[in-house]
Parts: sequence; structure tokens; C-alpha cells
Amino acid sequence: MPKLSLVHRAGVLIAGATFVLGLAGAHPALADDKAAILLPGSINDQSWNALGYSIVKSLEPHGFKTAYSENVADADEGDALRDYASQGYSIVLGHSGRFVSAMEEVAPDFPKVQFIAVSGNEGQAPNVMSIDWNNAQFGCQLGLLSARMSKTHKVGGVYGLQGVPNITAQAGGFRVCATQAGAKVTIIYIKDMEDSAEAKEAALSLIDQGADVLTGKLNAAEAGLVEAAKDKHVYVTGRGYDQTKIAPDLVLTNILEDWPSMIGNVADQVKAGKLFGSFVQYGYNTAPVTGASFGYQPGQAFNPVVPASVVKELDTMASDFGSGKRKLVPTEHDARPGS
Amino acid sequence: MIDFLAASIRIATPLVFAALGGILSERAGVFAVGLEGMMLMGAFGAVIGAWASASDLLGLAMALAGGAAMGLAVAIVTVRYRADNMVTGLTVNILAAGLTTYLLHVLAGSSAIQVDPLGPWPIPGLSAIPVLGPLLFAHPPLTYLALLGCAGLSFLLYRTQTGLKLRAAGENPEAVFVAGSSPMRLRFTAIICGGAIAGLGGAVLSLQQVGTFTDGMTGGRGYLALASLIVGRWNPWGAAAACLVFGAAEAFELRLQTYGVPVSSYVVQMVPYLIALAVLAGLGRSTKLPAAIGKPL
Repeated sequence: MPKLSLVHRAGVLIAGATFVLGLAGAHPALADDKAAILLPGSINDQSWNALGYSIVKSLEPHGFKTAYSENVADADEGDALRDYASQGYSIVLGHSGRFVSAMEEVAPDFPKVQFIAVSGNEGQAPNVMSIDWNNAQFGCQLGLLSARMSKTHKVGGVYGLQGVPNITAQAGGFRVCATQAGAKVTIIYIKDMEDSAEAKEAALSLIDQGADVLTGKLNAAEAGLVEAAKDKHVYVTGRGYDQTKIAPDLVLTNILEDWPSMIGNVADQVKAGKLFGSFVQYGYNTAPVTGASFGYQPGQAFNPVVPASVVKELDTMASDFGSGKRKLVPTEHDARPGS
Repeated sequence: MIDFLAASIRIATPLVFAALGGILSERAGVFAVGLEGMMLMGAFGAVIGAWASASDLLGLAMALAGGAAMGLAVAIVTVRYRADNMVTGLTVNILAAGLTTYLLHVLAGSSAIQVDPLGPWPIPGLSAIPVLGPLLFAHPPLTYLALLGCAGLSFLLYRTQTGLKLRAAGENPEAVFVAGSSPMRLRFTAIICGGAIAGLGGAVLSLQQVGTFTDGMTGGRGYLALASLIVGRWNPWGAAAACLVFGAAEAFELRLQTYGVPVSSYVVQMVPYLIALAVLAGLGRSTKLPAAIGKPL
């Protein structure tokens, strides 16, 4: 009988995957004010890439023809950026901070094109920018909310991609402010921000250890977090109104990201001839465009179970961030896994 | 401890179904590299079926059908057209990823599909036993079905003539010919049935655990199931035990983070896979595949 050949199996798998990723390279559509977005995945994923598609589509009311490329592999980023820039696109977006390096390489050859990394954290003068909302501010508010709603004074957060700046900001902000409010914080990172089953298990392990309010920053996996809260009847915060529908009694609020306003604001200025070469971060200090907000359901920011006194504290915190009275820059240590 | 063991069982359940499906296929002589795709189609079918019909049973039927459809694709290409098992399995995994993404968009648009997950079925009397009750007798239905599946497949493989012929199709197909049966038909049937069972593994993830389907939600569990069936020496109970070890490793990994171990989460997250590699390397020398596996007829 033949011996087990794992090496053979692995070799075939790697070769196949490489071939397929190669096939999935960018093929930009042809598009006078034009904007395009490069997406790391498929627009049908009902998650991060679907959000990216909705971002570029939101530029149409601003007078842009739009296009997109899906499944852009790391190695194809530079070529895909060049393709769009050489076709006269005035704005080329990359849907995650990972596109920044390729943009910094390509941008000097196309000085009139605005390159924007969605959710990135750095820029390069004169025409590479990153846009994001202030995760630290909203993470801090979630920390305060969680601590105030916890009866066990133990709260938990489930995140992915430890060390990515906006994750560090939100997880760290959560820990700092929940701790200041008197709660013990435990954080778990999962492998895949799209894996709802893994997120649910992580959440259940936090609940097993006494946490009775959960939060997190995940993509499709956020649903698993809410399902765990529903199973064990603990409070949770979500990301988008869809999560309220899963457990209306238990979802305290959701973070609602306002990318159309953030990107639209920049696009209008690019159209008027201005270019950006920096990291632009929206928050309470950039009102009226704050980049994000809280929403339990349309027209209502928080679940009715959240006492008015807590809502008032949260509003005061937002005002303090807005006025600059309060500033917060979480560190990787703040966002560490564990307690 | 009870919570940890319960988590291990939850994480192992989808792997067990996939491993059982893989055993059926590999015992009959065809590598089960397509388990990931079969699970993914099963996960998709389960949620779409339950959502469209408001019936969990129809959801499960759709999971079986989805997994079986992927099995059918593997069977046609490998058995009928004698293609390489590895490449076919890999292709089916990619096909399932693309197909489920596309179909989800066609059927649901941009809105998320949400159904109520299958709830626990406490066994009257037994579930009230302290410690053991909540650990072993208060699970959702598919967890019990996984155990029944191990018993059923063991019986089929080792106690029936069909099982004997099926194993022979993987070891010595000529002997099956001599006995008057068609090893090709046996392989064909085994791959399709294996796909259906692996599809139930996907249903555990989507319909039993989270009540929704998301892109690529199997997240490599099909490959872990593949490792489990090798570690378990193509025996249903052995594979189930291996799945439980991998489940425990993942449950441990999540808990290890909460202890504040001063190590990056990326390193801690490798634990289940390092265990899998270590076990496979340890067993590698003594592990023997079915003799005629991967050989076209």
C-alpha cells in the first residue's frame, strides 16, 4: 500500500491557489470625472467588500462615473492602480490600508490623481491619502456604555487583526474607557473577521468567564458575536442595524459608519481641484461629518434599556472629544489580548 | 472545565460530519480534497432552504443536496473522466466559494439572511444529571446526529456486505469486479453520499451555530476534517476523536488569550494547526492509505 503523501497534497493545493489568484487579477472597466475602487474580495460578500462597492457607488450623486475591480491580489495592486490612473480616473480608492504602499509607489507618476486608502492610517504628499473614522473615540464610548450596563463588572471584546491601527484604536479605546468606568476588560482576537462561528465561540468563552456585556469590531463575523449574546442573554453592541434585528432586547446600539459623507466630502474637494496627501480622520472633532454614529434603529441611538443618565454621560464624552477637552490615543498594550 | 469541554464538542461537530463524508469517499478510493466545498455548499443550502421555506427540515435537506451536488461533480470528473483527485477536489472548493457568493447575491441581494438557529434538544432525564447532563445531553439535534453518524458509518463499513465492497473498491477494485459488482458505481455513490454528509457539517455551522450564511464561512474546516480522518486512520470513531482533539485545541486557543499570555494572538491562533501538523508528522510513518486510492478505474 502506498505511503501517505501530504507533501504532494500540499503542493497541488498551493499551486492551484496561486494559479487562481493569478486569474483573479484586476480588469478595470472603462469609464470625465471618474472614480474607481479596488476591492480585496467580492462585492457580493455582504460584508467588507460590499461596503466598498457601496462607497464607490455613493460618489455617483457627486457627479462621478464609477468602476470597481474585485479580488485584487496583493501582487496586482500596483498594476490595477496604474490602469485606472492612466485611464483618466481622478479618484482611485483602495478598500483597506493594505493599498497604501502600492499607492505611494504609483502616485508620483500620476500627480493629478487622488489616491485614497479606505480605512488606512497614513498618507503621502501630494496625492495619497487615507480616510478613516476615529475608532478610539467610538471605542471609548462603547467601553463606557459596556461598563455602565454590566452587572458583573466584567466586559469583553472580540476583534480580528491584532495590531492593525484602527483595531488597536477601537479595542484600546474600549479597554481604557471601560476600565476607567470600573469594569474588568477581556479581549480576544479571532483569526478571521468573517468567521461568525469562530466569533461566537470566542464570545461564549468570554461569557463563560463572567462577561455580561460584549462588543467587537468584526465584519461578517459580528453576527456570531450577537448570536452568542442571544444564546446566553447578555448585552452586546453591533455594527449596523441588521444586528438589532437578531436580538432586539440585547443589542444596546450599533456603530454606523458614514463612508458616503467622509468620501463624498473629499470627492467634492478633489472635483474642485484640491488634492490630499495625508491621513484624514473624522470624529466628533470634525463635526458635522463625524465619520460614524450610534444607532439602535432608525431615529434612535440606543436601546431603551440604556438609562438616560448613561446616554447623557456618552453625550458628554462625545462633546469632550469634539471640543478637544478629551483626547485618546490607545496603544497596542491597551488593545492586548486577555485581561 | 465544563464550558471548555462543551466548546470542544461544539467546534468538533461540523468537523465530524465532514470527516465522516471524507471517510466514505477515501475508503472507496477517491481523495476527499473537496470536503471544504461540500461543507460550504451544505452551509449555504441549509440557510437558504430554511429561510425560503421557514422549515429547518427543508434546510437540512438542502444542505444534504448542496453537499451531494458537489460530490456529484467530483464523482463525474474523477470516476467517469478519471481526472486527478487532488486537482478536482481543489477546483470544487473554488467552485463552491464562487457559486455560493454569486447565488447569495442573486437570492438575497445586499441584505443579510438571518434564520433562528437550531436550539438545544435536552434529553429528558439525562440532561438533568449534574455536570454530565449539560455537557452531553443538552445539545442541538445535529450534534446527536454526528454521533449517530459515527455509529452508522462504522456499522456500514465493518458489518455489512456493502461496506466490505466499498472498502474493497478502495483497496482492490479488481476484487470487486470479480465479486460481480462495479467499483466505479460504488465510488460514484460513496462520493455523492460523502458529499451529502459533509454538507450537514456545513449546516452545523450555518443553521445550528449562527443562523446565517457568510462568504467562505467554512474557513478551512474542510481541510481540518481531512487531517482528522487521516489521524483517525479512516475509522469513524478515530476521526471523531481527532476532531474532538482539534476542537479542544481551538477552544483552548480562545481561552489561552483570555489568560493574558504575553504572546501575539497570531501565534496563539496557530495552536490547533501546529497540533494537527505534529500529530500528522507523528503518524505519518505508520499511516497507510487505502491501496487503490487516487487510482482511476
